Amino acid sequence: MKIFRFAAVAGAMLCASPALAEDITIGLATAQTGGLAFADQPSLVGFKMAVEEINAKGGLGGKYMMKLDIKDTRTDTATTVQAAQELVAAGVKVLITPCDADPSIAAGQISQPAMIPTLTFCGTTPTIPGAVGDYMFGTYPADNGQAALLAIHAMTKGYKSAYILKSPDSAYTLRLPEYFAEVFTKKGGTIAGEGSYTIGQQDFAAEVTKIKAMNPAPDVIMTSAYEPDFPAFLQQLRGAGVTAPVLGSDGIDSPTTTGLGAVADGIVHTTAGYPADGTPLRAFYDKFKAATGAEPETVYVATGYEIPYILDAAVTAAGSVEGPALRDALANLKDVEVLTGKITYAGTNRMPNRDITLVEIQGGKRKPILTATPDPADVPAP
Amino acid sequence: MSLWVGVPARAWAGAAVLIACTGGLALAVSLAFGGTGINIATLALLQIAGVLALAVFSGNSGIVSFGHSAFMGIGAYVAGVLTMPKGVQASALPHLPQWLQGQELSLGTALIAVAAAGLVAGYLSGIPLSRLSAGSAAIGTLAFLIIIHVTLIGARDFTRGSQTFYGVPRLTTVFVAFAAAALFILVARLLRDAPLGLKLRATRENEVAAAAAGVNVRAVRHAGWTLSIVMAAIAGALYGHFLGAFSPKDFYFDLTFTLVSMLIVGGMLTVTGAVAGAVLLAGVVQILRQAETGIDLGFLSIPGVFGLPQLGMGLALLLTIWRRPLGLAGLKEAGPDWPASSRINTAPPAVPAARARETRGQLEVRNVSMRFGGLMALENISFAVPAGKVTGLIGPNGAGKTTLINIICGQMRPSEGEVNIDGQPITGMAAHEVARAGLGRTFQNIRLFERMTALENVTVAALSMGHAAGPAQAIAMAQLERLGLASRSGQLAGAFAYGDRRRLEIARALALSPRFLLLDEPAAGMNPAETDELVGILAALRAEHDIGLLVVEHDMRLIMRLSDTMVVLNKGQKIAEGTPQDIRNDPAVIEAYIGTRVHAH
Repeated sequence: MKIFRFAAVAGAMLCASPALAEDITIGLATAQTGGLAFADQPSLVGFKMAVEEINAKGGLGGKYMMKLDIKDTRTDTATTVQAAQELVAAGVKVLITPCDADPSIAAGQISQPAMIPTLTFCGTTPTIPGAVGDYMFGTYPADNGQAALLAIHAMTKGYKSAYILKSPDSAYTLRLPEYFAEVFTKKGGTIAGEGSYTIGQQDFAAEVTKIKAMNPAPDVIMTSAYEPDFPAFLQQLRGAGVTAPVLGSDGIDSPTTTGLGAVADGIVHTTAGYPADGTPLRAFYDKFKAATGAEPETVYVATGYEIPYILDAAVTAAGSVEGPALRDALANLKDVEVLTGKITYAGTNRMPNRDITLVEIQGGKRKPILTATPDPADVPAP
Repeated sequence: MSLWVGVPARAWAGAAVLIACTGGLALAVSLAFGGTGINIATLALLQIAGVLALAVFSGNSGIVSFGHSAFMGIGAYVAGVLTMPKGVQASALPHLPQWLQGQELSLGTALIAVAAAGLVAGYLSGIPLSRLSAGSAAIGTLAFLIIIHVTLIGARDFTRGSQTFYGVPRLTTVFVAFAAAALFILVARLLRDAPLGLKLRATRENEVAAAAAGVNVRAVRHAGWTLSIVMAAIAGALYGHFLGAFSPKDFYFDLTFTLVSMLIVGGMLTVTGAVAGAVLLAGVVQILRQAETGIDLGFLSIPGVFGLPQLGMGLALLLTIWRRPLGLAGLKEAGPDWPASSRINTAPPAVPAARARETRGQLEVRNVSMRFGGLMALENISFAVPAGKVTGLIGPNGAGKTTLINIICGQMRPSEGEVNIDGQPITGMAAHEVARAGLGRTFQNIRLFERMTALENVTVAALSMGHAAGPAQAIAMAQLERLGLASRSGQLAGAFAYGDRRRLEIARALALSPRFLLLDEPAAGMNPAETDELVGILAALRAEHDIGLLVVEHDMRLIMRLSDTMVVLNKGQKIAEGTPQDIRNDPAVIEAYIGTRVHAH
């Protein structure tokens, strides 16, 4: 069957006839299995849904019908490289990469010289576009943007001193608190202390004891830890009687956090979007429920859904799907309305300025407290 | 390098066959599937290189290493820092020390630095590793995996920590990958039959016996590990230049799992197995990867299911350990099956079985005592084993015979007293040093290198005496001939019948050209005919080569018949010494030993 496929691909490449000119292929080298599947799978679901909708209306920019070539990267960088090489060779016009920096940068280094605009599903590391080049774009709220919004929130609440908990095990768990500290101190706050953990360590007794012993106690505790570390840390922290408010990032935007019960009360964290009544996101969730019988389990479905619409806006502006034109159009997009707010690439390093939502947990429910695009002047350099 | 001298021609031929097969497959895949095929071939060739690096240590030593992927990471980072374009480096690694900045080396030059880094890392990590027992060593490699992973994350100025290390030029073409795979096949295949490989395999089969055959277990493990780590670092550097961007997690458990699975599926015991395992699993993964996106034949459309490759790999692993525990290749290497002995006729055949000496010497046990806590296992034992004579050591169970043997052979250090060979003290020497000092031995429960040929079993001992590969094989063959096993030199020791196993063990001990030979119950389990034959062989040995024999035996009839002198132990004390006639009539012996036996019957 490999030979059939090969023949089909070769045939398609040989006779790129004008009749097919309106069809373009979008390559997706994303992690449908393995450790990243939790984010890449729902992103793909949303992505496919939007592609169907746009195709039903005549395609990207009203004239380019999208076909998808989907390859699983198994959360493995070598497999991602291989998939990207295959997709680039097959002549895709746009490449979509996984929700992580390693595979996204590795794939981008292959698509960049081929001049193929490449977007990461929900890679949050702000260094991704800079590491690859001018054809690489982020789509999701970046770590430094999330951190900036959290720091600004902390200042508004009047917190003067913060404790940050970070883990060197991943860029997300290490850099996000560091970005927070950068903005927080710049705005006049002080970092009273910082702790370090290992992803999966479960026992936070040492860190909790350290926080409890601090005098004066910090006004706020900030971390980008997520499951299973965040729930363990939070329970041990509250168990020790520390009542300082806790700030978190989008990594805890899952039902697990609200399921923690009373200890989770008062947590404020960032998210790409919250389906408040009357918002486009709410409408999308309803539409999704009508189509599939259940609401999306994570916001990744929505952020995945937004990407074809970002492409649609760029193709409409460019009037073309050729690499350089599409790249320039993407880079100049301004205030594109999507489900979770507005997205702007103009004036950025291709990690978009976009709305980020802050939510607070009370009684097992989230409620939005702020949706805003952080001022680029506040966002720390990646 | 002297390492390769005397490697049998079949090793070269076997390597050639494997390289040709690998190259042919890579070419076929590249031609059949164009650009995609070239990518598949490149990745598979890199995996072969990685598995071979692992196989050089784990296959030969039998110690599974979980740490190799981390050492591959070291190679990838070292090479990446050195080859990275200046501009990218300035933004990716702003805090890099001055002397490392802007090197922009070619891949070839960078690989030399990588090999040096591998040598240092391998040598240093080998120091603790080679001191561990085989079981602990495997766990030790796991510790290396974690330590290196944490170190790579911590060294942020050099590695960007857990963040993606990007901008590594993608220099690993299919040709580079093939060159590496071919070189590694050659090294691994030749090593297997080279002196170091033989000794390492001997330690894998039986550590105690290897030491008794004069093999310095620590040293050969250390050497094998270091070579293996150098190869891993090079494989990792090439893998890094295939990926272009990576982080420490790309060289962690997942890669370890892939490499170890490939080695287990193919078979740890052969180079053919390592290559076959890598090819097979790479093939399974690639075929299933195509299938998982769905198959559309026009009339029939099968929807895609993601996750098939992992499923396939898991199943292959399960099937292997269930149906073929030794892996696909089992014990056989690909290539012609020329007997290794075909070369031996060209080597000098006349090598003495015992080393020359000026005066008749003796193995002397002097005032040896051994305490285990409060228990006195041996108390002030003294006796001598003269050259050219047979000394019998007897005693009822618990008399202290085993402790005494262990002290003489260097496995234990006595609390007091000393053991000398021809006046030279050997007390406190390690087992392999005692063996090289002139004491060969056999074991009560025969210890052979089961999955090695008879010739290889004996050659290992000859090699430890410092002979080069060719003469060592000649000596081994001569000893096999002496014990009547020459016609079966190419067969695996594990296939030998009981009596032959005893004789093979003696042949191996004789290949040390020992001054003295310690035989621990040599006739146990032999029938009368075999026993008679053994007595004949021992008599000839003593007469021809003036070897002194120390025989521990339960068969009283045999020991009386064989011995010139006898030493009797009971409850840690020497209760009698003398001719068999004296012993037979000694009242203390009758009471302590023979008497109790008579009563027991």
